[in-house]
Amino acid sequence: MSRQPSTLTELARLGFAELGAARDALGEWAERIEAFGAAADPDRALRLLVRLQEQHPDALRPVLADPAWAARLIVVLGASEGLGDFLRRRPAELAALREPLRTLPSAEQLRRYLAAAVEGSTAAASPAQVEQARTALRVRYRRWLLRIAAWDLEHADAVEALPLVAAALADLAGAALDASLTLARAVSTFPAEEVARTRLSIIGMGKAGARELNYISDVDVIYVAEGADELDNARAVEIATRLAAETARGIQEPGIEPPLWEVDANLRPEGKDGALVRTIDSHRAYYERWAKSWEFQALLKSRPLAGDAELGERYCETVHPFVWASSQREGFVDSVQRMRERVTEHIPADEVDVQLKLGPGGLRDVEFTIQLLQLVHGHSDDRVRQRDTLGALAALAQHGYIGREEAASFSRDYRLLRVIEHRVQLDRMTRTHLMPRDVDRLRVLARATGLATTADELTERWQQTKIAVRSLHEKLFYRPLLSAVAALPDAGLALTSGQAEDRLAAIGFTDPKGALRHIAALTSGVSRRAQIQRTLLPVILQWLAQGADPDYGLLVFRRLSDDLGETHWFLRMLRDSSGAAQRLTNVLTASRYVGGLFERIPEGAAWLENEEELRPRPLAALLDESRATVDRYEGDIDAAAKALRTARRREVLRLALAGILDVITVDELGRALSDVNTAVLTGVLSLVHRYGDGIEFAIVAMGRYGGAELGFGSDADVMYVYRDAGAGEHAQPRAEHIVHELKRLTEDLRLPLDLDIDLRPEGRNGAIVRSLDSYRAYYERWSLTWEAQALLRARAVAGDGSLMTDFTALADTVRYPDAFPEADAREVRRIKARVEAERLPQAADPARHLKLGRGSLSDVEWFVQLLQLQHAATVPALATTSTLDALTAAADAELVLPVDAERLRAAWLIASRARSALTLWSAKTADVLPVDRPQLEGLARLMGYPAGGASRLEEDYLRTTRLARQVFERGFYGTP
Amino acid sequence: MGGMDKQRDFVLRTIEERGVKFVRLWFTDVVGTLKMVAVAPAEVEGAFAEGLGFDGSAIEGFSRAYEADVLAHPDPTTFQILPWRGEVDPTARMFCDITTPDGQPAAADPRHVLKRTLAKAADRGFTFYTHPEIEFYLLKSSKVGPKGPQPVDAAGYFDNVPGGTAHDFRRRAVRMLEDLGISVEFSHHEAGPGQNEIDLRYADALTTADNIMTFRTVVKEVAIEQGVYATFMPKPMAAHPGSGMHTHLSLFEGDTNAFFDPAGQYQLSKIGRQFVAGLLTHAPEITAITNQFVNSYKRLWTGDEAPSYVTWGHNNRSALVRVPLYKPGKGQSARVEYRGMDSAANPYLAFSLLLAAGLKGIEEGYELPPEAENTVWELSESERRALGYKPLPSSLDRALGLMEDSELVADTLGEQVFNYVLLNKRREWAAYRAQVTPYELESNLEIL
Repeated sequence: MSRQPSTLTELARLGFAELGAARDALGEWAERIEAFGAAADPDRALRLLVRLQEQHPDALRPVLADPAWAARLIVVLGASEGLGDFLRRRPAELAALREPLRTLPSAEQLRRYLAAAVEGSTAAASPAQVEQARTALRVRYRRWLLRIAAWDLEHADAVEALPLVAAALADLAGAALDASLTLARAVSTFPAEEVARTRLSIIGMGKAGARELNYISDVDVIYVAEGADELDNARAVEIATRLAAETARGIQEPGIEPPLWEVDANLRPEGKDGALVRTIDSHRAYYERWAKSWEFQALLKSRPLAGDAELGERYCETVHPFVWASSQREGFVDSVQRMRERVTEHIPADEVDVQLKLGPGGLRDVEFTIQLLQLVHGHSDDRVRQRDTLGALAALAQHGYIGREEAASFSRDYRLLRVIEHRVQLDRMTRTHLMPRDVDRLRVLARATGLATTADELTERWQQTKIAVRSLHEKLFYRPLLSAVAALPDAGLALTSGQAEDRLAAIGFTDPKGALRHIAALTSGVSRRAQIQRTLLPVILQWLAQGADPDYGLLVFRRLSDDLGETHWFLRMLRDSSGAAQRLTNVLTASRYVGGLFERIPEGAAWLENEEELRPRPLAALLDESRATVDRYEGDIDAAAKALRTARRREVLRLALAGILDVITVDELGRALSDVNTAVLTGVLSLVHRYGDGIEFAIVAMGRYGGAELGFGSDADVMYVYRDAGAGEHAQPRAEHIVHELKRLTEDLRLPLDLDIDLRPEGRNGAIVRSLDSYRAYYERWSLTWEAQALLRARAVAGDGSLMTDFTALADTVRYPDAFPEADAREVRRIKARVEAERLPQAADPARHLKLGRGSLSDVEWFVQLLQLQHAATVPALATTSTLDALTAAADAELVLPVDAERLRAAWLIASRARSALTLWSAKTADVLPVDRPQLEGLARLMGYPAGGASRLEEDYLRTTRLARQVFERGFYGTP
Repeated sequence: MGGMDKQRDFVLRTIEERGVKFVRLWFTDVVGTLKMVAVAPAEVEGAFAEGLGFDGSAIEGFSRAYEADVLAHPDPTTFQILPWRGEVDPTARMFCDITTPDGQPAAADPRHVLKRTLAKAADRGFTFYTHPEIEFYLLKSSKVGPKGPQPVDAAGYFDNVPGGTAHDFRRRAVRMLEDLGISVEFSHHEAGPGQNEIDLRYADALTTADNIMTFRTVVKEVAIEQGVYATFMPKPMAAHPGSGMHTHLSLFEGDTNAFFDPAGQYQLSKIGRQFVAGLLTHAPEITAITNQFVNSYKRLWTGDEAPSYVTWGHNNRSALVRVPLYKPGKGQSARVEYRGMDSAANPYLAFSLLLAAGLKGIEEGYELPPEAENTVWELSESERRALGYKPLPSSLDRALGLMEDSELVADTLGEQVFNYVLLNKRREWAAYRAQVTPYELESNLEIL
């Protein structure tokens, strides 16, 4: 009989890619042409067929004659080059495809089929006979692999079939180990009666234990043995160790028929260094004493896989209690975090986009979440102690730990990912978890899975699944927490509060009861607000758990929600802008300073939505606002001052948020905080000093305020100056009254603004305010170097313009002298030395003091200031109140080496940043790098170090300041 | 990890089987003094699992860094029954690693400093082996007589004193060390009266450092047992040689000795030459650690084979670094000998710096200067200058000054140990300088 030669169009319809070549190669197979339509890769199927036919024409003749047989062969070859290789090696095995499998074989059936391969072997067997038995075993294994693959590929819905296929593959692996063990026993050179009395069970771990194996992967095992009929255990372990090694060789040693897979026993106690075989007691003793949490997690999957089933069951009964007690062990939270890291770790950069297994949304992500839930809840509920992922998912849903709908959809997603993985492995029978990049291979994969028909379509489905899986953790782990405290309308969740506390403790909340109370308060009720919180909170909790202090973060989040829940924007922002919500959780877990400010100014949360709002507002805008506020209150001084103080808190909060979220740098922050001070002082001054009150008045910023280098929690150093404009003898009392009023009206207990006037002439003994003439007379008479030095950072910031100008001119004559005698320089050095000896608090470690310590702020400032006193008259750029600008100018003028300037700058910056971060973290002002570890860790996170960076911060700080001190000693003291 | 667990099992089992009554947890402070905490056997398991908390402020070098408690984690691989406590009340010991309460290695733990430095070497594929020859004096007692310390005998170099104290002492000490699993390679009587030398066998640097700490304790114990006194003071008697700790160093890459090259001069490989160049370049700045006491400089600067100048040579006993020739076919034993260090050094810190200096030489590809062929101390000052032989620091004060400017030392020790050593040693120097010595009184009082 003959058939018309196929048209190219027809071949294209069936899925061939190389049409001309296919038409030429078809030959007799033209009669079976329709069958190629079901092959994943028709071109390959044909190519392999042709090759088979060339090599084994007789074996293929009956196949060609039987349409169903031929179709099955074509489907298998189209999906798997690896199985094609097997058939070319063993053409007789074509027979395995003659009849379809109606159902997948049972474990017992497989065991019998494979055992038959090694029947009749004895201790007298020659090496060649042993090799022969091994070959027979491996061929039979592959015969069944072939049949299972054919069943899988012919199944209408691969996703549906996946759990059955995975279970059959695990059973097949178990049967292979069983047969290999039987062979090992039969040919053992130990006395036969002793071998017979040696009981050995092979425990499956991982995917083999869970009965969800891949087509090709390592099989994880543990061996357990004991003596029977009075054979002592030591001898039994000795014999069993040889049997176990021999069993593995039967599977994995190179041979005429290639090895099947690696038998991996590294999950055993003590890993690679441990004894290969142990008794049950020895296992128990080990786990009682030593095992790490992750080892228990591995035991969750353990199951008797081969060998002595009764012994295996006893082993599992012995070790499983350890699994379920592990969530109560110390260090569980840490080990969970490490497990979580394993989800995303070690992905080579060139694989990120094609990984099926690792990474967010990969297979391991699903497995991690399910196992974590099992470990947390399996402790008290034995109904969720399934070994396999899908079974566990179903049980967790059935008993109310996770939502039913979510469970169903994740079950689908998981199976879909597994199907893709299976098909990728089947292709070349290689252990891979990578999607192909090649469009042609992707198309083949799409056809093989039956999930799609084109490469793009498959990629699209995979990406969607990954996105869905990525949110899995939140949906399964966090969302059900709410059901413990609030009735969720959907999905039959029923977590008790105890169960919810277990979960919260597992992710790092130190007071899970308190946390649960906050969750209850946030989500209970029928209000729209509670409804929205129920949707939001799962993901918020997840973010909070990643922060330095989750408990505090949740507390403040609740307070904010209580204050803002009724506003239209807060919930909308959290719901619609995940960026803003995540930023909010960042700042809440990082900073008590921010938490405190939010209490007063909850509406500040709105800025998180928009980075522009977090930028410091320009001084002009701040001053406009101050002016408008003063005008609005029309002479109600106290009310106006209160409004000005509120505005200050608001702007400080804005800057704190900006600082934590790295929107601004530390020098921008210094300027911005100074501007905020200036705005409030300008406003308050205008309340208590008006044109025509008989004097001119001005506020001069000094110190870090004058330098525009403020940090959070810094004092505001100032001096006051006035000039008689008609008040005569009342001028001084009037000026003093203004000073008192300034202090009273700016006082803010919540966010202190300490106006510090200690830098005025004569320090604490001096008048609190002087006239310009008095300043002039004073400086002319005394001209003390330290007064000149203090003036270097004097900057008139508020008050009457002409007085400000005149004061600045006076200051310039003092601070930028035409000549600065060496005797004066020596005096500066002497004072510095004395300050070092006296100002540092008793018992303070000089290396850790951020302000007065070795190489920290004051060293850098004095270094720069001395250069300014000496050279500012000739180097105009040095005439600045800013320490860093002056340092740059000094380097430009070659007064200091660039490398030295860089060291000083680095020290000034790290000390400034540490000081601000310290205030942000603890809401208290402190000047010493903490030794307390949690505090140091919080500081490190605020300064941008990764989790666990406390020691690195400490080391960096000490090194940077030590190097700066070397520069300082050389340049300032002139030590060689 | 698995091996560690096995070790712990072994320790707990042995404690049971041998009826150990106390376990001493040993660690070393920054100065190099051995510290011990004794615990009951029941606490050992907990110490393995969570560490044993103690007050760090009581220990030199820890006080400034941590107000809070620190944790000692015993290293089960170092478990030994102590032989000198007798069978009546068996006592064992383990060395400990010190961590902060949140589990990070304590910055002030010298053992961690060495581990960190070894890890850096391991990153470059190297393991570091050391072999020290430790000299010490046996005195009649710790009391100083009218003519200074009194040595137990007056025998000279290699003299065997039949039945004498030194002989008994050595036999007993060697036996005890071997009971503690420390092999002793060779022992002979050194040049000074009552002076002894015991060589520890080659081992990785961490083991060797642990062994040195054990060795010092054993020697002191045996001395007490025999009614004499042992001292590791670098220069106890002005008229007799000091006690040095010449140390042989080698680097291995896997199983291969990286210092060996059959074609090189003295069979020293390029890596070996660079390593030696590193040692020489940085020797002055690490001297405050290898020779950490005021007294150390009296050994360094009074001849008697102590190397005062930064030189290297082959079989030149005046050189700081000696490159011996090996027997044919013994390439694996290729090594260089650093002769500057004394017996009172903190071995953890000293080994860290020797290794760091050598590695620096390799990294930067330092060139080895010409070999010193003459006996360096017989040259005149200007000859030495002409030959470019730089001196080691002449006092602790100078050594500290050089160390303070050394990024290599700061980097290797870590900021906290670095600071602490400077602070502590400056105090020592100040106290020393405040003395009015018998020498001054003798030479000045009568004529001034």
